[in-house]
Amino acid sequence: MSAFPLASFAGAIEFIFSPQTSNVTGGNEVGGFDKSMELVLKHLEVTVLALAIALIVALPLGLYLGHKGRGELFAVGFGNAGRAIPELAVIALVAVLIGVGLKTVAPALAVLGIAPILVNTFVGVRQVDPAAVEAARGMGMSELGIVRKVELPLAIPTVMGGVRSAAIVILATATIAPLAGVETLGDFILNRNVYGENGLLAGAILVAVLALAIEGLLALLQRRLTSDGLKVKTA
Amino acid sequence: MNEPAASSVRYEETTKRYGNASAPAVDRLTLEVPAGEICVLVGPSGCGKTTAMRMVNRTVEITEGDVLVGERSVRDREPAQLRREIGYVIQQIGLFPHRTISENIGAVPQLLGWKKDRIRARSAELLALIGLDPELGDRYPTQLSGGQQQRVGVARALAADPLVMLMDEPFGAIDPINRERLQNEFLRLQAEIRKTVLFVTHDIDEAIKMGDRIAVMREGGRVEQYATPAELLMAPANEFVEDFVGADRALKRLALMRVRDINLWEAPLAHVGQATGEVRAKLASPDVEVPFPLLVDGERHPLGWLSERDLLAEVVPARPDSPLGPVLELDDVMRDALADLLQHETQYAPVVDHSGRIAGVLSVEIISEFLASPDAKSDEHPAVERPHG
Amino acid sequence: MASPALLAAAGEVGGDFFKERTSGTLPCQADGSHLFCFDWAKENIDRYGEPAQQHLEIVVLSVVIGFAIAFALALFAHRSRWAQPPLLAATGVLYTIPSIAFFFLLLPVTGFGRDTAVIVLAAYTLQIIYRNTILGLANVPASVKDAARGMGLTERQILLRVELPLAIPEIIAGLRVAVVSTIAIATLVVFINAGGLGTQMYGSGNLTFPTSIIIAAAIVMAMALAFDLVLLTVQRLTTPWRRVGSA
Repeated sequence: MSAFPLASFAGAIEFIFSPQTSNVTGGNEVGGFDKSMELVLKHLEVTVLALAIALIVALPLGLYLGHKGRGELFAVGFGNAGRAIPELAVIALVAVLIGVGLKTVAPALAVLGIAPILVNTFVGVRQVDPAAVEAARGMGMSELGIVRKVELPLAIPTVMGGVRSAAIVILATATIAPLAGVETLGDFILNRNVYGENGLLAGAILVAVLALAIEGLLALLQRRLTSDGLKVKTA
Repeated sequence: MNEPAASSVRYEETTKRYGNASAPAVDRLTLEVPAGEICVLVGPSGCGKTTAMRMVNRTVEITEGDVLVGERSVRDREPAQLRREIGYVIQQIGLFPHRTISENIGAVPQLLGWKKDRIRARSAELLALIGLDPELGDRYPTQLSGGQQQRVGVARALAADPLVMLMDEPFGAIDPINRERLQNEFLRLQAEIRKTVLFVTHDIDEAIKMGDRIAVMREGGRVEQYATPAELLMAPANEFVEDFVGADRALKRLALMRVRDINLWEAPLAHVGQATGEVRAKLASPDVEVPFPLLVDGERHPLGWLSERDLLAEVVPARPDSPLGPVLELDDVMRDALADLLQHETQYAPVVDHSGRIAGVLSVEIISEFLASPDAKSDEHPAVERPHG
Repeated sequence: MASPALLAAAGEVGGDFFKERTSGTLPCQADGSHLFCFDWAKENIDRYGEPAQQHLEIVVLSVVIGFAIAFALALFAHRSRWAQPPLLAATGVLYTIPSIAFFFLLLPVTGFGRDTAVIVLAAYTLQIIYRNTILGLANVPASVKDAARGMGLTERQILLRVELPLAIPEIIAGLRVAVVSTIAIATLVVFINAGGLGTQMYGSGNLTFPTSIIIAAAIVMAMALAFDLVLLTVQRLTTPWRRVGSA
């Protein structure tokens, strides 16, 4: 590594934007804007896919359990356990036991995302003011209606917190998805012999930027989805 | 008492101004509270009564002027030190949830560096004083009811034997039944310990019941009248005070009297096994005031009222027809006694002394006769100074 | 289980997939018919000792440093409220950046090895501990603080004797999440040559074999569970007033 950190970063930035001739592997052209963007999109692809799967599985389950008030131990325990799963093991086991490629990796990543979404949805719904739910029930709203119109909107901040956590862990794990045959920005990082030191740093920078961008977007989404009533600061 | 247990409190042009506010929250308040008395600051919300109270222990800092506690300026003292000598009771109580009741009570003594044994003894002493079971000392605040917690709050304030007590709507968060009980208990306590108390409330009835002196305030902490409860009721200084006190001043004065202050009627007494002939003879007597015989036991404790049917038998039966109904005590505040009578829809109620022995009978008639009498209308009613225990 | 696709993928990441790590044969693995080789596991269990110890050392170091910094920041922000939004944002950024990327971002500065690992892992714990500490302190009822101040406790005494004890549940809750997450993430420090149990899942550019991965993962999760329970017990022991019922 270069003795001057700044110089390394400069080299990495250059890598992102213009193809370089790597002197490490026989002078092939690597890097450049097109390749960088390609990997960014691929990274996003697997992240979004996994997040979607996680949402489809965990959100309804969390809403149901939270609404009924059942399965607290299961939901919370699942959340705690989920946090303890080493991502590397998930990718590795998928790769060696099940198969490589998007079809197997996306569900595996989704598993990592299910835990935070499930826990947060459950907790978010449980914390909704019971008086509001009672009132809705008394008005004659159906159970499904209560979930949709009362519990979910009021639980949005907590639920979105879970979605953001899930997105972060999925995006982070997608970085090592190349180990399971899925091309992502992790390629730059894991294949140092192909992309060189500049590529390594470039990959890291791109992943970091992407993560912050996604987090920012989700934060904005959360603000849009949170009803104004919840945002008003009490006097 | 060889050493002063209480100090006077004096406000000298005490002023509190907040930031950019045009008018001061408390404007040049000048007031003197003699040692050993309860001074109630009462007024509508926002009038500055709480601010004024808090300036005594500097939980609100004084902008101009001064407050003297026992002739010592509070501004010269270090705030934390000052506060350890002043008892502080607030409406939401604020007991430490993570400490036991005993530890809560002993909080200030601990700050003052008392020895552990002394603290423990003092906690136990105070628990007894406020009428709580000693074993509650090891429980945590969440395990106590609201009324019990507030009692602990008072005990905590008394623990280090402060010179002054500040109480900010202390019974405001308690339900009316327990509030009355707590008020009575505190008055009983005060009769023994005679602390100087600054008591803030928005409830004029509470003010009249609790205060030796009452300061009726309006915005800016301006005192419209500072007088004894009797003076306040009989001679309100201006329209504001009159409005605040309320149109039912006469009834309010009942809060200043005890049952013992009035001439009670007598009911003919009957004992179990007594010949009913004797009882009937007593009833027939011309100067009988209460037309029902009262059944009492050997100790003159009332057991019930006898009806006509009871008297048909040869001897007085052990179990009377009519239940006893409310039993009042000589020390009861007259207003509460009247409320009891009205609530139980009973005309007569036996009054007992502190050992439970019959002392007379109270009726609504007696009370209304009193209110209508020239006695009640006089400017100075000596018996109405301050009900002492 | 060594499908053609797998081997092709192996080619993509460079190198052999199943690299023998011991001198003994691994018959149950060679034909890919077994998921988990118990015999091998029994024989080789002690090879996990050192990686586990490294793992633990890194985790403990990171959490202790992270806690110290986050706790100090929280105490500061508790008094100086203006600092709260920027600190929340700053710790949030450190949390959002995936650790694996963060490791490599620091390479020019601190290089490979344990230092980088600890810095990144500590940074990762900052947000949860900071946020929970602030939350715990903020949840102390105002009336309790009012009473404490009015009784004559100094600001310092209020913090030490009232606010912090009452904030313990939230603080420990944050610590639990931080510890569990860090134990899991620390498997990734293998990528910067910092050792740990990740070495039994991935080494020298290749994934290892299922049995090893499973054992390592199991140890990681067992460690996480153990720490979680210990911290939960600590919390229970230090907050006796929460265990009793209300009136």
